[in-house]
Amino acid sequence: MQPTRALLGMRYRKLRLTTKDVNKGFYKGTGTGSMGRHTSRGGYIIEWNKVRTYVCPDLTGFKLTPFVTNTVKRVYGQYDTKLGPKDPEQYLARWKAENGFD
Amino acid sequence: MASSATAASLRPSLGAAAAAFRLTSSSSSPASRICPSILLLQTSSFSTSSPLSKRHTYPGARSNKDMSKNRGQSALRRTGLRWRLSMSDEPLPKPRSRDELPPVEVDPDHGLWDFFPNRETVAAAPEDDMKHGRAWMVEELRGKSWEDLHRLWWVCVKERNRIATGSWERERGKMGFGKSEAQTRDREVRNTMRGIKHVLTERFYAWEDAVKLAENDPEVDLSGKGRVFTPTEYLEEEGAVETKAEEEVVGSREAVEAEAVVVPPGEKAQGEAARI
Repeated sequence: MQPTRALLGMRYRKLRLTTKDVNKGFYKGTGTGSMGRHTSRGGYIIEWNKVRTYVCPDLTGFKLTPFVTNTVKRVYGQYDTKLGPKDPEQYLARWKAENGFD
Repeated sequence: MASSATAASLRPSLGAAAAAFRLTSSSSSPASRICPSILLLQTSSFSTSSPLSKRHTYPGARSNKDMSKNRGQSALRRTGLRWRLSMSDEPLPKPRSRDELPPVEVDPDHGLWDFFPNRETVAAAPEDDMKHGRAWMVEELRGKSWEDLHRLWWVCVKERNRIATGSWERERGKMGFGKSEAQTRDREVRNTMRGIKHVLTERFYAWEDAVKLAENDPEVDLSGKGRVFTPTEYLEEEGAVETKAEEEVVGSREAVEAEAVVVPPGEKAQGEAARI
């Protein structure tokens, strides 16, 4: 097999490094994230709390759609405090009213 | 004639034998008029078949061999085989045309049907793709529970899958227009998903900040022992409070007063006085 001739003569060095370049010590991920840890002997132990799982709930009888009818006008919320929906005091007060008692 | 073939090269040709006979007959002695086979020496090997079965070729002639063993054979053109096989005489089944085949049995409840807008078409027509509303507003989503938001998210995911399948098939089959309408629809769905994520993040941050606040709140006990929330009015009378707070709460975002809790008639004046 031959190297690609268009890349010869110092042209390859100008390109960005890929996972296949450089002999040792250079690691480049692919954006999938860490799923575990390496062992000292070169193996890999999967940590299942790091592995992402996708939970799809039961959609039977669910009537909401991704769209809202155009006849309903857009109404922005009105809040008393400056933080508005992010206000922790409002959150706490609402919790006390709705969830405080079992 | 296996026995006689091998020694043909060793055995002299008849012409040579005749010449030898002529030579001997010139002396014209009766003793010499014997069959030439006795006069000439003969050596015969074990098998004589190979030289006889070999086809005579002139020296320097080129070979007639067909070097291409698969000459003329084509699966695409359905020529059939060149050489006979053991089953060449057996009647083999012939493939049926697609129209003759029985219809494929399909599970009507299969989950993969959700990738298509209906059972007949693979991509929605542009006029049907156009029929959609606007995306959810963040304000509208704030009022929804976790369960509703979770299910709405997955409804959006499935809708996006449907749109993506349609776009892929439309491009692959060069079916025509519809990409623009699909993109508009996809944008609205993505905006809804963005809103859902925003609401959940906002709720989480507000919760985190509220937990911090609650650590310094005398009404809230986060240690895990006993009741978490004890309203200040009833710290002394812990057994006498009815728990109807959830029913009486109005769905507004303003802080709900302690009046929402149903007060036993005897303590009402005391409760108001304590608040003042």
